Amino acid sequence: MADRVTGPIDPESGAEPPPTSWLDERTGSRGIYEAIFLRNIPKVNWLFTLGSATLFVVVNQFITGILLTVYYVPSVQDAYDTVTYIDSSLPFGWLVRGLHHWGSTALVVLVILHMLRIIFHGAYKYPREVTWLTGVVLLLLTFAFGFTGYLLPWDQKAYWATTVGTRILDVVPFFGDWLLRVARGGEELSAVTLSRFFGIHVWILPALMLLLLTVHLFLVVRIGISAPPKRND
Amino acid sequence: MSDSVSRRKFLSRATLAVGGVILAGWAIPAIAYVLGPARASERLREWRPLGSPAKVDVGTPTLFKTRIERTSGWVTQEDEVSLYVFTEDGQNFTGLSNICTHLGCRVRWVGDEETFFCPCHNATFAKDGRVTSGPPPRPLDTFDVKVEDGQLFVNVEV
Repeated sequence: MADRVTGPIDPESGAEPPPTSWLDERTGSRGIYEAIFLRNIPKVNWLFTLGSATLFVVVNQFITGILLTVYYVPSVQDAYDTVTYIDSSLPFGWLVRGLHHWGSTALVVLVILHMLRIIFHGAYKYPREVTWLTGVVLLLLTFAFGFTGYLLPWDQKAYWATTVGTRILDVVPFFGDWLLRVARGGEELSAVTLSRFFGIHVWILPALMLLLLTVHLFLVVRIGISAPPKRND
Repeated sequence: MSDSVSRRKFLSRATLAVGGVILAGWAIPAIAYVLGPARASERLREWRPLGSPAKVDVGTPTLFKTRIERTSGWVTQEDEVSLYVFTEDGQNFTGLSNICTHLGCRVRWVGDEETFFCPCHNATFAKDGRVTSGPPPRPLDTFDVKVEDGQLFVNVEV
């Protein structure tokens, strides 16, 4: 790597500032870039890209999800009609919804594969326990995303899948009945359920996911990734 | 530094190029998707039946009403279109909107005075829609009206 000037330019030497120096001088952007993209990693294989693949799909879910809320209306009168409108009347609406729909399935598959890779390589061990624990919560968040998002099209499949899915809570001993009412926002699936699921899906879960994802990724960069285990490890 | 592109440089450029393509793959549909409803779409026109032409008294504008469905986005609502149809010879028909061109009040035909009268600002229009007094800036809007198979039809925007 070529030598580069860091910090303020020395007026006596009159050194030419490097091309990125203006921003770097004010933000330390060069250092951040190097820490993230030019860090040393052990010799790894393609299985180590599962985390990046997961991140890519998460980004896709955020982008397409935000776009869907531009037209989607979470009310029992409008939900189904707005989804149909997005699908059939808007330019690329089918693509935006399709990316979000299939992205959610891909995300569930990818996070599980990513987790299996970590388990089989023992990568959750010291000093990466916190990374692992945030990952476990991120896995649960992904499932919560999938479950709440499934109701939003408000078609027959959505309605009955959520009816059955929430009823699972009913078998919890002692306070299962209460949990069921909390999940549905009442005795039956209703406008309240739809509105709550929407709020959870687009505000609460994304906020939690952004927070945990930041910690998760910070730790990956900070601690570095583990090498695949050797035969006698 | 050698002239040939190093492996590192090639890979970083390839990554940037692929990343750019993916970014465009999100950005271009996203812009079209958000701007989509702003496109000036051609409004469809349709011939709607009004009933028998015999209902129109020769020389007297007669009020007709028809209901049409208008769709904006995912909401469809029924609107009522009303118009005066008038003929001098029982053959050629003219359709006139009953909406005053001043502020949109409904005008009505006053037979005794042979005039359309708007109660909001006392404007009057002649039988052919010309402004005869009051503040309206232009004549009453017209509709295309035709007779086909013994039925009266009006051409409306839907």
